[in-house]
Order: sequence, then structure tokens, then C-alpha cells
Amino acid sequence: MYGLTRYKLLFLLPGLLILLGIILFPLGFTIRVSFSGWDAARPGLDWIGGTNYSRLFADGRFWESLSRLGAIAFTSVILEYLLGFALALLVWRQVRFRRLTRVLFLIPMMTTPVVMAVIWRTIFHESLGPANDLLSLLGMGSIPWLTNSFWATVVVILVDVWQWTPFMFLLLLAGLLSLPREPFLAAAIDGAGPIRTFFNVTFPAMAPISVGALIIRLIEASKIMETVYVITSGGPGTSTETSSYYIFIRGLRDFQIGYAAALSVTYLVIMIVLLTIIAKSLSRYLVKNGA
Amino acid sequence: MKTRVLISAVSMFALISSSTTFASEDYAARFGIENDVPGMCSYASIDAKDYSGQTLNIITHAIPVMGEPTALHAKQFEELTGATVNVVHVPFGDLFQRIMIPFQTGQNAYDVLFYGSLWIGDLNPYLAPVPEKYRNSPGMQDVTRNYIDVATWDDQMIQYPVDGDRHYLKYRTDIFENPDMQARFKSETGRDLTVPATWEEYNEVARVFSGWDWSGDGNLNYGSAEVAKRDDLMFSAFISRAAAYAKHPNVKGGFFFDLETMEPQINNPGFVKGLELFVEASRDWAPGGANFGLGDEIFAFGGGQALMSYSWDDAFIQAQQEDSPIRNQVAAAPLPGASEVWNRDTGQWDSFDEPSRAPYITWGWTSAVSDRSENKEMAFDYLCFFSNEANTESDLQIGRFGVNPYRESHFDSAFWTDKLGWDADLATSYVETLSGMDSSQNRVFDLRVPGVSQFMSSMATGVASAIAGQATPQEALDGVAAEWKQIVDRIGVDTVREAYARVVALEDNQ
Amino acid sequence: MRNLLRLIKFAAILIWSAFVVAPFLWALTTSFKTANGVTSGATYIPFVDYQPSLGAWKGLFGSGGGSIDIMGPFVNSAVVTLSASLISLILGTLAAYGLSRFTYKAGPVGNADLTFFFISQRIMPPVVLAIPFFLMLGLFGLLDTIFGLVIVYIALLMPIAVWVMVDFFNQVPRELDETAMIDGCNPVETFWRVILPNSKPGLVVAGIFCVVFGWNDFFFAFTLTFTKTQLLPVAIVSLNSSVTPWWSLSASALISVAPLILVAFLVERYLDKGNIAGGGK
Repeated sequence: MYGLTRYKLLFLLPGLLILLGIILFPLGFTIRVSFSGWDAARPGLDWIGGTNYSRLFADGRFWESLSRLGAIAFTSVILEYLLGFALALLVWRQVRFRRLTRVLFLIPMMTTPVVMAVIWRTIFHESLGPANDLLSLLGMGSIPWLTNSFWATVVVILVDVWQWTPFMFLLLLAGLLSLPREPFLAAAIDGAGPIRTFFNVTFPAMAPISVGALIIRLIEASKIMETVYVITSGGPGTSTETSSYYIFIRGLRDFQIGYAAALSVTYLVIMIVLLTIIAKSLSRYLVKNGA
Repeated sequence: MKTRVLISAVSMFALISSSTTFASEDYAARFGIENDVPGMCSYASIDAKDYSGQTLNIITHAIPVMGEPTALHAKQFEELTGATVNVVHVPFGDLFQRIMIPFQTGQNAYDVLFYGSLWIGDLNPYLAPVPEKYRNSPGMQDVTRNYIDVATWDDQMIQYPVDGDRHYLKYRTDIFENPDMQARFKSETGRDLTVPATWEEYNEVARVFSGWDWSGDGNLNYGSAEVAKRDDLMFSAFISRAAAYAKHPNVKGGFFFDLETMEPQINNPGFVKGLELFVEASRDWAPGGANFGLGDEIFAFGGGQALMSYSWDDAFIQAQQEDSPIRNQVAAAPLPGASEVWNRDTGQWDSFDEPSRAPYITWGWTSAVSDRSENKEMAFDYLCFFSNEANTESDLQIGRFGVNPYRESHFDSAFWTDKLGWDADLATSYVETLSGMDSSQNRVFDLRVPGVSQFMSSMATGVASAIAGQATPQEALDGVAAEWKQIVDRIGVDTVREAYARVVALEDNQ
Repeated sequence: MRNLLRLIKFAAILIWSAFVVAPFLWALTTSFKTANGVTSGATYIPFVDYQPSLGAWKGLFGSGGGSIDIMGPFVNSAVVTLSASLISLILGTLAAYGLSRFTYKAGPVGNADLTFFFISQRIMPPVVLAIPFFLMLGLFGLLDTIFGLVIVYIALLMPIAVWVMVDFFNQVPRELDETAMIDGCNPVETFWRVILPNSKPGLVVAGIFCVVFGWNDFFFAFTLTFTKTQLLPVAIVSLNSSVTPWWSLSASALISVAPLILVAFLVERYLDKGNIAGGGK
């Protein structure tokens, strides 16, 4: 193993250093700004100590948005995972029109979220959109899609599921496609049915990728902002206001840069702690259970 | 891109033939205007300048409202002067930060800015005053008092007026004048169907005309369409409604705040009444009406679904499109008023025999030149050219451009009947409504102070929670008042007061 | 039983496809409407339900007035996305291989922490990063340039590449490395000749994620440019005025999706190739 250290570093360092180089200043700056009162009227890095942080702890809207975000992000990611896995299994093996269906399943992910959000908003427009119109054709009453807390949340989740199930689908399909054949042959020889094969062979082999996919999607889903902005503006009232949307409102709408930085730093810390716990327990549960 | 080729082809042709014809006819043919009106900003005057090799960077609103005329006149300006003009189009919600970030970090990003005039309190440190020669131009002399006021900060003109925006009432004349409808209204309410003079009447009319097909096209119709989406422009709609109850013609010294104490007035009984009526009206909106942005309001009224609406001109213009099914079946009227207005001096409601009106001179599109710009002369020439008489006359006729009357000479109903084929009654109602607002002595202006977005977004959140039923109007506005106090403390009482004093001076007609 | 299973399978595929396609069909029909077609309630079939118009499409391609220049931003977007994705993919794959195969230890920091460090870069809400990135690029004179955007996008995309590739490398059996080493390959050769060819699906996935996230990023494309370097999403939302023209937004949404449908076809192809390579081992 001569010179292994050199090779070790050769692989890791270029990426790590470049990333650090790009991210270090913005991160440090954000932390510094969070101790300042930078806003529209007074730009600059004055020092106001922990004022922003003490304000934040008393800011009910932030904490509510955080728990709301938790509910929205978890629900959509779990739905996306289940649907994505199911779809990947459907088109993994031979299916008629396999190429077409696979391509079709990928497409929503390719669209720009903010643009699709505008389209979705027109779809759920309660008097001019097709959603209610089709319901009435089926003889059902119209649904207050965007003006009722429950339904507005449903719409936000639905749009996220539409857009990002393909992400899960692609990741899991690629995982399935790169699985070695031998275990499946062995299972077939043992006479295992499809369900037993899935739980004994497929799922355990897919566990690491599943954990990775869930974590990335949780991170991305937590940043949901543009969709909310376009579709509901956080309404009705504040019932679909998520943390990142709230940070956006405070930061770029109100232009309270200092306060938004404090919100973000807090959000970052909370997310890192939560995600570490989730990642660890997911790995333990899924990977160990399978293996 | 095809347009560009076409325009340059046309202009080549025009250049070749220009030696034989008169210059003024020439510009009309080349640029599709009626006549080049002589003056310092005319096509001929701008043509005489040479800015080749120089670049002008412009930030403006998305296409078409304001964004399209910006781009159109930029192209023309390029052709006339040889300058390179870059235009970036930004949706309204992102415009403020796109302008503010470069300003605050010392970057010279844009020479010319088009933006909402309510940000003057935040942007004034970064704007270049309009030089005297432009202020003395005939076009500027003709701008109405409202829009000169809106453009002025600290006795200096720092915004270049290019548009006149205001909120007013729009309603369907075919319904209001229909005897069957009048009879139905009378039998349900016991009074005659008239154009609402108070917001109570507005709500009552909306109530009677909601949820049934009064237009006879097979679709349900509704009484009122309002901008109610929280982070859209709902704050303006709320001010329009609340001003009637909270702006007392005889009480001086502040509408949003008491200028002396800087105590927020946003939760006084006048504002609460305004919000109660807003919440009440929400029952008579089209389904989803509580999530209507400006775009939806325009479709709802302009498309014939709603009987009444009030906000900027767009919905009215939409209704008056050539192919609109309700063309010439609409009219404009001043915003409803109130027969009882809260008097915060005496702490009582004062009654008025004739409803008191408080026209809200809502923010609108304006333009300015950045103080950092290295091409100020060219930048002002561009704005001067943008708003020259020939261009304005042509822009006023194109509804989607969003350019609305802002000069005395625009209040001529013949213009709208002759050029756009509007019915005479309708054109008169439009012109009188607009000019009436300009001459009112009880005007309400936006809260043009530093941090205006914080105040407005806090207010919008409170109002939205009341509409969503998460809080009563009183609770919601108490919450807003508490937040406003904190915002004032953060920004500094004196900073806010100093800025607000300028607004109050305008409102008190000083 | 078998037939029933197949029926269910087909039904599931059909239902999901319909759900996927629905918004595009709606956008397609809306793109041929005028204001009257929109305001008279939901309508679907041109000529039957409403009178179609080509206004929106003409507007996009610049003959109806109020057009936006699509081609310039399109090229900018392609250049920025492809270069940032390529760089991120190369650096990210190298780092991911290192993290998958070697043990790093610096004080309390181990492999898992390093991997998490990469992905944690994506947690921060972009809103607050706008100003520091703006200042940083401004300092180097890189605002409103392609190069400046590429730098920022590398920071956005590399974490995804690392995270995806670590998982895929972990799936490739270590025996392959060991065999290659015994055959006399050094780690770089092992990586290049043996492991990389066996990780094609992973590379395709990581690559496509980079491209998708880069292509669709709206926020940084928006904040870090002024007037010269416009990217596609920015050009498209420049039609999102206070009067939202449903029709032209629909048309431009469809246009922005078109090239990526092509990408989807390519991806699908390489996924299968990866399958063959993986199956052959």
C-alpha cells in the first residue's frame, strides 16, 4: 500500500478544497450578518449582538413555519419514495413501451419548478381552472383548492410529488439496474416468489441508495419556496407558509437581511442536527434490517 | 427577433428616402407613431444626439405591463442615437431586491430603473435628481399635481413620471342599467340599485349579484373581484377599502401613524371597520377569490365574471379590449366612501351626509436614474424620450402596456372615443373619475418611508389571517400594530418620522 | 392471476402517465387561447370549446410585439449548466470514490462526516446566500458573467454529484478493486479502468441531476446577473407580469421543457447501456 495517502488525498482534495473555497466566504459572511441589523434603511455590518436571535426565539411565525415545513416535507418525500420505488419496479424489467414510459416518468423533474407552479395555479384556479371543472363533470361539487388550509396544503404536496417523484424514480431505477444478477438467480432457484424476493433480495440491496435518496429529497423538499410563493403565497392566512418561504419574505421582500441571516443560520443548525439523526437511524433500520 | 429585422429593414428604407421627405413624417412612418411632437425629447431632438459606443442598462418590469414599452422605446432609442441599450425584465415580486442589492453593495448595475413609486423611501439615497432642463420641459410641466408629488422627495424631483396609477371602482353598466336587475335588487334590499357610494353599499350590491348567472352565458357570476392574495398586491386593496373609514378630511397629521407620537393607527376603529367589510365581502367573491392576485382580478372583471372590482386600470382596459364580450358595457367611478369616518382626534365616529371619500393615490410605475450611473445624460434622455408626447399618446392606446393618464392633456374624453372607440359615456366616466382623484383634498398616499415593505407585508399577513378566519379583524390588526411598533423601533423613530412627515405634508395639502 | 397482475401493472402505468402528462396538455391547449378563451371558464378542445389563436406562440418567436429573446438565454443556460455540471461531476466523482474506498481521519472528522459536509451545502436556503455571493463575485469583477455563474453553480452541484456517487460506488463490490490491484493497477488506474465503467448508471444519474438542478436554478441566475448574462428561466419569468398572460406563459413553459425531453431520451439510453455493462461482469 505504498503511497496510499497520496492517492487518498488526490481523490478527495480537489473537490473538497474547491467547494470550501467557494462556500467559506458566503457561510462566514452569513453568520456575521446574522449579528447585524442590515435592512433596507441601514445596509452594512453594524454589530447588534444577539438581538436577531432573541427576536427569533420569540417569533411564533418562524417556529410554526418550521413544524408546517416538517409535515409538508415528510409527507411529500415519503409519497415520492413509495411512488418512485413502485414505478421503478414497474418498468425495471420487460414492459411494453418501456422506453416511452421511462422517459415519460422522468419529464416532470426536467421542468422549471417556478414555471410549472404557474401552470398548476391555473389548473387549480377555482372557477377558471380544469380541476373543479372536471370534478363537476363527474357530478362532484367544487373544492376550495387554494382558499382552504387543508386543500392548499394538499395542492402544494401534490405539485411537489408530481415534480420530484421522477427524482426518486431515476435514482432507484438506476440502483435496480446496477444490481448484480446472482442473488436473484439464487432466489429463483430457491423458488422464492416475487414478494419474498423483493423483501429478501431487492430491498436490502437497495437500502443504501434509498437512504441517500431520502436524505437528498428531504433537504431539497425543505427548501420549497417558489412553488408556495406562486401557488398560495403562504395562504390562506399563514397556513402553507414554510420556513424557507418565510425566510424569503423576511430576507428579500422585507429586506431584513440581518434577521433573515439569523433565521437561516438557525434553520441550518436545526436541519443538520435533524438530518444527521434521520440519516443515522434510517441507515441503522433499513440497512441493518435488510442485511 | 423577426421584429428587429423588420424594423431595421423599415428603417433602412426610411433612411434612404429621408433625404426627400420632411423629418416629422419620416418618424411617423418609421416608428408607428402619429406625429412627432417637437420638443427637447422628440424623435427629431433625440435623433440629433449621438451616443454610439455607449451602453445603457435598464431594469424594468416583466412583459407586457411597463416592460413592453420599456423595450420598445429602448429599441427606438438605439436606432436614433446609436447607443447600445440592454433591458432586463423582472417580475414585480423580485424587482425590489434586484434593484436594492446592487445599490447596497456598491455595484453600478443599472442606469435606468422602472419600479413601484412606493419604494421612494428606501431608494431615495441612490437616485439622481432630475436635472432642471427636464423638469422644465413642456411634457413635465403638463404632469398632474399627484404625479409630481409622487416623484418628489425632500423638495427634489428624483423620480421621472412615466405613468399615472390609481385605484378606482369599475362596474358593469349593462347590469346596473337593466330594469330587471334593478327590480330584483329593489325587491331584495328595498333600495334602488345605484353605483355604490359607500363600501357598505358595495358589499350589499355584491351580495345580491353573487352566485347566479346574471349575464346569461351559462356560467355563474359573482358580485366582486378583489386582489386578496397575501403577498400579491393585496395591501393596496385593503388600503383602498380602509381609507374611507380611517382618513378623516378634517384630521391632519397622519393616516398610518400619528405623526407626533408615531403611534400606529392601523388598529384604530376606522381600519378595523375597513377590514370587517373586507372580510364580509369575501363571501361574495368567486370561488378561490381569496387567492386572487392582480392577474386573476383582471380576468374576473375583464372577462365578465364579476360585477364590480376596484384596483388599477388593467381590469377596465381588459374589459375594453377589441374582442371583449363586455366592451362598452363598463364604467368607472370613484372608490366608494363612508358615511361615518373615524376621527382619531376626538375618538369618535363622525357622520357625513354626503359620503366622505378618500382617494388612495396608490403606488404605480415610475422611473429614475441611478446616482451611480456614468451615463446620466443619456439615461435622462432615454426617459425623456420614453415619455415624449408622441410615445405617450401611442402607449396610452395599447392597454397591455399599462401606461395610464398622468398629464392634464390626457384627461380628454375625445381621445378615448376617437382613438379607441369607447362610448362617450364611458370615456367621460373614466376621465372624470381620474381627474376627480387628482383634485381631491382628502388624498391618501402610500407609506413612503424606509422599510415600507416590512410594514406592508406585516399588514398583508394580518389582513390575510382575518380573511382566512384565523383571527378576528381587531385581533389581526392589533397584531399588526404591535409589529409596526417593533419595526419603527428597529429602523429608528426619527428616521421613520422624518420620512413620514413628507407623506403627511402631501396628504394635508401643505 | 398472472394476467390480473399484468392488468394492474398496466393500469398503474397508465394512471401515472396521465397524471404526468395532464399539466402539459393543459398548458398546450392554454397556449392557443386568448383572454376570452381563459375567462369563459375551463375549456379544452380548440375550435369546439374556444377559438384558438397563435398569438402566444407568435409573441415568443418575435412577431407579435412584446417578444422575449429566447435564443441568447438558451445558449447561456446551456453553457453555464454544461460546464458547471461537467466540472462538478469530475471533482465530485473523484471525491466520492475516495470517500467510498479509503478511510479519512482528521481529528474527530471521519468519512461519514466528510460526506455529510458535502451534502450539507445544499441545506442553506439560497435567499441569504444571495448577498454574500453577490459581494464575492463583485470583488472579482465576475457579476453578470458566465464564469461567475459557473463558479456558484459548482458549489450547488458538486454536493449532489458526491452524494449520489458515494452510494453507487458503495454498491460496486470491493472485490473488483482488489482484483485490479493484484493485477498491478495503482488506485487511479483501478478507478479509471475498472470502477468507473461499472458505475455508469450512477454517473448518468449524477450527471442528469446536475444538469436538471443547474438548468432549472432560478434564484442565482436571477440575483447574480444584471442585463447581459441572462439565463433561460430568467427570460421565461420575464413574461410573468402583473397581468399574467396564461397563454404566453404556457407556451414558454412548453418551450423550456422541450430540450430536456431530449435529455430524458438520452438518459434512458445510457441507463440501459449501464445495465448491459453491469450485467456482463
